[in-house]
Amino acid sequence: MTASIQETLVSDSQAPWRRWARRHGWTFGVWILLLVLIAYYATLIPRFGAFQVASIVNNGTPLVFLAVGQAIIVIAGGIDLGVGGMLVLSSVTAARLMEGQPLLVALLIAVGILLAAAAINAVVAWIINVSKVPDIVITLGSLYFFQGLALAILPNPAGGANEWFRWLFTGSKTGIGSNPWPAIVMITITVTAIGWWLGKTKRGLSLYAVGSDKTAAYLSGLNAARVKILSYAIGGAFAALAGLANTAIAGRGNANTVGGNLTLNSVAAIVLGGVALTGGIGSVIAVIPAGLILFFLSPILTAMGVDPNSAQVVQGVLIVLVMAVTGIIEWRRRLRS
Amino acid sequence: MDNRRKYLTRWLVILAVLALIAAACGGDDDEATETTAGATETTDAAPADETFVLGVSNTLVGNAWREQMICAIKAEARARGNVTEVVLQNRNTDVAGQIADIQTLISQGVDAIIINPADRSALDDVIAEADAQGIPVISVDAPVTAPQAYFVSNNQVEYGEVGARWLFEALGGEGKVAYMRGLDGHPADTDRDTGWDAALADYPGIEVVYENWTGWDPSQGAQQALEILTSMDVDGIWTSGIDYSVVEQFEVAGVDYVPIVGADNNAFIEQLMTIEGLNGAGVSNPPSIGGVGAAVALNILEGQDVPKETLLTPVVLDTMDELEGVFVPDLTAGWSSYMVIEPFVSYASPQDVIDCKGPGE
Repeated sequence: MTASIQETLVSDSQAPWRRWARRHGWTFGVWILLLVLIAYYATLIPRFGAFQVASIVNNGTPLVFLAVGQAIIVIAGGIDLGVGGMLVLSSVTAARLMEGQPLLVALLIAVGILLAAAAINAVVAWIINVSKVPDIVITLGSLYFFQGLALAILPNPAGGANEWFRWLFTGSKTGIGSNPWPAIVMITITVTAIGWWLGKTKRGLSLYAVGSDKTAAYLSGLNAARVKILSYAIGGAFAALAGLANTAIAGRGNANTVGGNLTLNSVAAIVLGGVALTGGIGSVIAVIPAGLILFFLSPILTAMGVDPNSAQVVQGVLIVLVMAVTGIIEWRRRLRS
Repeated sequence: MDNRRKYLTRWLVILAVLALIAAACGGDDDEATETTAGATETTDAAPADETFVLGVSNTLVGNAWREQMICAIKAEARARGNVTEVVLQNRNTDVAGQIADIQTLISQGVDAIIINPADRSALDDVIAEADAQGIPVISVDAPVTAPQAYFVSNNQVEYGEVGARWLFEALGGEGKVAYMRGLDGHPADTDRDTGWDAALADYPGIEVVYENWTGWDPSQGAQQALEILTSMDVDGIWTSGIDYSVVEQFEVAGVDYVPIVGADNNAFIEQLMTIEGLNGAGVSNPPSIGGVGAAVALNILEGQDVPKETLLTPVVLDTMDELEGVFVPDLTAGWSSYMVIEPFVSYASPQDVIDCKGPGE
């Protein structure tokens, strides 16, 4: 069965380079785009060094994790507007519980938060399954629910985080510095693991199968409802991981962070990363540079002397462009076959 | 097997790319400057000509007070003549976002950073980093706990207190009041609350029947005011500067005016001057404090001796003379009347702030 799904994903026609381009072209392109933007940024500012790289990687980390979470859910055919709220909820919970705790306790709290987030989002998926109400409606509800819960947990910006916990995400005990490596390692490990699981295991591949054709997946013996719950649980855990990164950066929690904006950024990032909003297609590997690029827009526009507020406009145009380009590619592909 | 190998190769490529990025920037900043020697030259030349670049970090957009604050920064930068550029990091974001924005300003080589802080203590580490890189940070409007930071503000504790005392006096020391605060967690809001509490302690006859945050958003303030006026009995309203849109709700709700305290918003000043039966006071909280912040930043850069703290004392405006003295006809809605803050700023006329043009614009 695994093989048959692989085949539908890969469609092995034409020359090998063409196959490679089809499979990895987009991923490769987004990484190149990130490198080009970084190189361009380096020419705009007076000095470009470790501090600048750390600033981009560290502060971009929450969006990368959030977008990876969204990507997993969208690949399995869903969409979760609640991820931004989950980020805020986990961030304030971490800040509230971790203040003054030693590293070991902080890590236990972090694991607890990740598990709880997975469980809560699994319940959200279960509600979608049972109620048959579209994902977008239920998760809009969960977005507001999480945001409200976060305000109840931490009415005022407060809390704290263990300094070594902050180091884990930012390479610095104060959250500021010139060391991008911990964040890079953190992203590499988690996203590699989930990327491997998605692409190489039977259960991981079932997400693609259900996302691309629910009926076919059902007929071939997959439990689509269970797959949805699984995808939401993992996506929720990644959103919570993004929240932990946020707490590590700020050194405190802030329930006033607008979760809705974060959700929209995560959707923009996966679109740029080549994940099809219709489900079944996409790679979490491409979501890493896409998330960093979206964070990066604001510094670049500032360096260009453009109001960073227009980053939102650029982001909107970008999404439309990417959708148009993928649409054209898909259309040409169909035309040929 | 084949697939697994391909997968491994893909990862090796990605790791190699990451390693390249890290290698390209190098562990040491000095190495990197070499590659961008052209750009470094201009910054090196800057201090010799005594020209500067100012960075601004603001986390609340679409807010008239903050807009005017930025316009005053631009006006001052232009008036001083030795600023080549004002770099704006201006977007709606939270503390984590402001930390990133300040890092961006450091990255872009500004000479001083003016911030309106989103949090009192969470910015300490990034401010210390700026200071370590020789960039002074001036916190405008609200204090931060970072010992390196300069602080320029209206005295917010006193702002809360004088307005509250005026209101409680206007009510004869007795009655139900609504307490419409600013932005939850913002240091200025916390300070005003301290002042409010101090005044409240002296008036045991005053009962606070409503307390909520407007987020300094006029439409949200209007909505809350309508809710208050239509659903409960209040004898007076204190607002954290969301004033004119609250006054408008009396007519909407069809209720009589009660004493109200606001800020020096031009529209509110006009209402106090023109509406029959409206009793109120404007407590000065000029956003043009941004201009004072820019002046302090440039004084530091020019090597002058600058005190760590510059506090403006708020003024209560409630007589017709006082109101007419500050009122500016035909000003953008939501802007404050008091713009030329003597003796701090160099620009001479409110028009410089209204034009909102920085150097080279």
